[in-house]
Amino acid sequence: MSLLELNNISKIYGDLKALDNVSLKVDTGEWVAIMGPSGSGKSTLMNIIGCMDKPTSGEVILDGKDIAKESAKNLTAIRRDKIGLIFQQFHLVNYLTAVENVMVSQYYHSIPDEKEALEALARVGLAERARHLPSQLSGGEQQRVCIARALINYPEIVLADEPTGNLDEANENIVLDIFKQLHREGTTLIVVTHDPEVGEVAQRTITLEHGKILRDAKNPGFE
Amino acid sequence: MFLRMIRGAFSRQIKKMLMIALTIALGASLATAMLNVMLDVGDKVNQELKTYGANIIVVPKSTSVLNNLYEVEDGSATAGSYLKESELGKIKTIFWAFNIVDYAPFIEAQVTLPDGSGAVMTGSWFNHHMELPTGETLDTGIQNLRTWWDITAGDWINEQRDASENEIMVGEALAKRLGITAGDTLALSSGHADKTLSVVGVFSAGGDEDEEIFAPLGIAQEFAGAEGFCSSIEVSALTTPDNELAEKAARLGPGSLSVSQYETWYCTAYVSSICFQIQEVITDSVASPVRQVAESEGSILEKTELLMVLITILSLIGSALGITNLVTASVMERSNEIGLLKAIGATDGRISALILSEIMITGIVGAVIGYFAGIGFAQIIGRTVFQSSIEMKLLVIPVVAVLVLAVTLAGSIPAIRMLLRLRPAEVLHGR
Amino acid sequence: MNKRKFFLKMITSSLMRRRSRMLVALLAIAVGATILSGLVTIYYDVPRQMGAQFRNYGANMIFVSSSGDAEFTPEAAERAVAGIDASELVGYAPYRYETVLIHEQPLVAAGTDLAGAKATSPYWYIDGAWPAADGEMLVGNERAELLGLSVGDTVTVIYSTEQDEADEAGVTAEASLDMKVCGILETGGSEEEYIYLSMEDMERLTGNEGKLDLAELSISAPGEKLQSYAERISEAVPEISARLIKRVTESESTVLTKLQALVLLVTIVVLLLTMICVATTMTAVVTERRKEIGLRKALGASDREIIGEFMGEGLLLGGIGGLIGAGLGFAFAQMVSVNVFSSSISFQFWLIPVTILVSVAVTGLACLMPVRSATEVDPALVLKGE
Repeated sequence: MSLLELNNISKIYGDLKALDNVSLKVDTGEWVAIMGPSGSGKSTLMNIIGCMDKPTSGEVILDGKDIAKESAKNLTAIRRDKIGLIFQQFHLVNYLTAVENVMVSQYYHSIPDEKEALEALARVGLAERARHLPSQLSGGEQQRVCIARALINYPEIVLADEPTGNLDEANENIVLDIFKQLHREGTTLIVVTHDPEVGEVAQRTITLEHGKILRDAKNPGFE
Repeated sequence: MFLRMIRGAFSRQIKKMLMIALTIALGASLATAMLNVMLDVGDKVNQELKTYGANIIVVPKSTSVLNNLYEVEDGSATAGSYLKESELGKIKTIFWAFNIVDYAPFIEAQVTLPDGSGAVMTGSWFNHHMELPTGETLDTGIQNLRTWWDITAGDWINEQRDASENEIMVGEALAKRLGITAGDTLALSSGHADKTLSVVGVFSAGGDEDEEIFAPLGIAQEFAGAEGFCSSIEVSALTTPDNELAEKAARLGPGSLSVSQYETWYCTAYVSSICFQIQEVITDSVASPVRQVAESEGSILEKTELLMVLITILSLIGSALGITNLVTASVMERSNEIGLLKAIGATDGRISALILSEIMITGIVGAVIGYFAGIGFAQIIGRTVFQSSIEMKLLVIPVVAVLVLAVTLAGSIPAIRMLLRLRPAEVLHGR
Repeated sequence: MNKRKFFLKMITSSLMRRRSRMLVALLAIAVGATILSGLVTIYYDVPRQMGAQFRNYGANMIFVSSSGDAEFTPEAAERAVAGIDASELVGYAPYRYETVLIHEQPLVAAGTDLAGAKATSPYWYIDGAWPAADGEMLVGNERAELLGLSVGDTVTVIYSTEQDEADEAGVTAEASLDMKVCGILETGGSEEEYIYLSMEDMERLTGNEGKLDLAELSISAPGEKLQSYAERISEAVPEISARLIKRVTESESTVLTKLQALVLLVTIVVLLLTMICVATTMTAVVTERRKEIGLRKALGASDREIIGEFMGEGLLLGGIGGLIGAGLGFAFAQMVSVNVFSSSISFQFWLIPVTILVSVAVTGLACLMPVRSATEVDPALVLKGE
């Protein structure tokens, strides 16, 4: 059974069909890139997978359970337990230190554990910068804090929205290396991007256009 | 383009701008209300203090004997020591006529009661109707000057009714002694008159007046044999608390003042200058302040005004800080926008001008709304507490305008300067 | 680290590390709380302080003999005065009136406790000085003019027993005393016809003691309390009838009620506007953090948790602001009291918790609304965030 299964989902905003009868499956441990130009519906898809939005019609089966009809409150609980989110703009709480930002996620999930949070930061290479405020960190470092925060609760799926959109080449590579590492460890990764370089390193690329899946292919270059 | 950006800011941030306008309006209304109340509270409290009765008493120059409080002796006045009734109207023609709230003439007569004992009859106005030369009308008399009287039976004498000439009011103690009450008649006599009068009311004054008979001026004049005269006049006037100048004039007489001091003194409603002006119009009279009332009035007025000034200052500081605060908060909130403007090449001057004009427009709108709301608040206070409206002072408008302008600038400029120091890239990256 | 600790850590970090914004909010709350505690303290103290001012009007209660003939003993008066709370008694002046002769003219002399008279009749104006030693007296302005007396003169005051008594005895008993005029009394009232001497001089002059015609009292208490004093005294000391001077008591309660209503209304208006001001500032401060609220939601926080955190912050701010305000407000009230009434204010301790509670409640409410509306927003939208 797949970890995530979307069956014929549509999302309609007024006259606009942001998603038009999309179906796809993601298995545990897969690294999927969702690509497409602006307005292709990838953000909508990402929001639905991230339990931040509900489709107008269709099923979203996560871990064997249809979540398409869940209430906003239950979606919040599901998101907390199963999804780790990485944002283009990092979205760190600006008055909390790096390690505290990671702990926020623990706090909502279960209980904050500073040791574990520090280990998570160490894994993304930020052990030294754990006590810094976001304003004292570079963009790449902030993104790594964001990744550490996404991973801290061992989510079923890590969902990244344009994770390298605000980063330079060097930092982009650091982030991609972390993704590779995560993949090796068996984490399920879904990366939404419009950057072909980021898309190519994934195991499988799904291309969206006008709310439909244009192409869904294994990546030949994946080692 | 500049205007377009301002317009853009308004339509985008309509909610935020409304909130700033609301806060400025609140601050401005608070300032307006408090300033107006503060500037008018003196007059209002002064009016209230009139319940203590007359603060000026006018007696004939030649007499030195007043009817004393404890009835130890009777000073039956001689013919020369009267004031002319015909001159009474002149009191309302003096420079400070407007400040004369109430006044009433008095005349005393010794009368003999049916049981042979004696009593004092006091003649006065009750609710005397006057047509003033200025065209105004005035109802005045002891109904206003003896607010503390309790009418225990019957009612006040109504002079404006035709049948009032033969009516009297009797003090509670005397009424009890004679066993009479409202509706009875009483036969009285003196060396000059002999009449049966009807008792329309019994009053309790909590003093020696409880032993007296109060009658319309005409009747008492008949009994005293002094038609057309009165022996004293009580005047209740709105006065300004005394200062050094007034003290000097009162001590050494107006003659001791220099010409300009004299003018200032004469044209200020000091109790001494009002007394002086009354003496000018009433022949052979001495007008002197009733210290018990005049003194206390002064101190209470002064305290109340000072109290209101301090409360006003507190609320002005409060509203100034409130406005400054919100403006600062809302400017700081716009760091993103400022970063963006800088990134696309706007100079610091242009950015400041943009933000300042936005806030100023909001501020002006808020201040205008606030001013009118403040007038409303002031009127609510006036109506509720004093049952009369608070007079609007034009002075308040510039004060409020300057206040709003100053605090808005004080609130926005430091915030803008702080934001301008930020580098655009930092701001845009949301730090 | 447990959940509660981290909760506190987040709140305090938010307050400490976002210093400028938090100062803005704290300032707003502190100003509001200052106004609240300051004005309410003044409101509560105004009747007391103003009441003291109203004592300038002089005596508001008199003792007279209850049996028709006019005298009572000083001892009875003392007993009656003992029934009045010492802190409320502003002044007590016994009076004894006798007819005396100066320059062959009859006039009324009043014997009194001069210090007491000064307290009960603060409006007396003395040209000269208050009598300090035996043999000194005050002369009413009218009387002084009539007799041609001025400060520093010494005259002989003659007391003769009443005419009918003198007839019976066949002789007129006479006593005389040389008195120095040390001050001319001006009041604008009937007091100006009298002369005033100390009770001791009066007793020496008349040769008998232990009788009073009247006693004046100035009591700083509201109308109903005066009434109950009067009733109690008349009952406890049967030879005395205590009466209120209506002119003073009635007018005082009228004016004082108005003044208190004025301060009350002003307080309400100022408070209302200040509270709205505090609320708008708090709203601005919270609205600014919509993005953070969206992020917390995305991280899996429930609405309740988010509201809890923001309220926690708000309440902490409200508490600190309220505490500062309670202190500053008292300082303000004290300043007003010293400047206006030249006396210190009575501190209302219950105002501290009330000020803090009100600040917390206003801040809480002001935070609650924007936080609520922020939690209703889709986190995805906020995070995409323009």
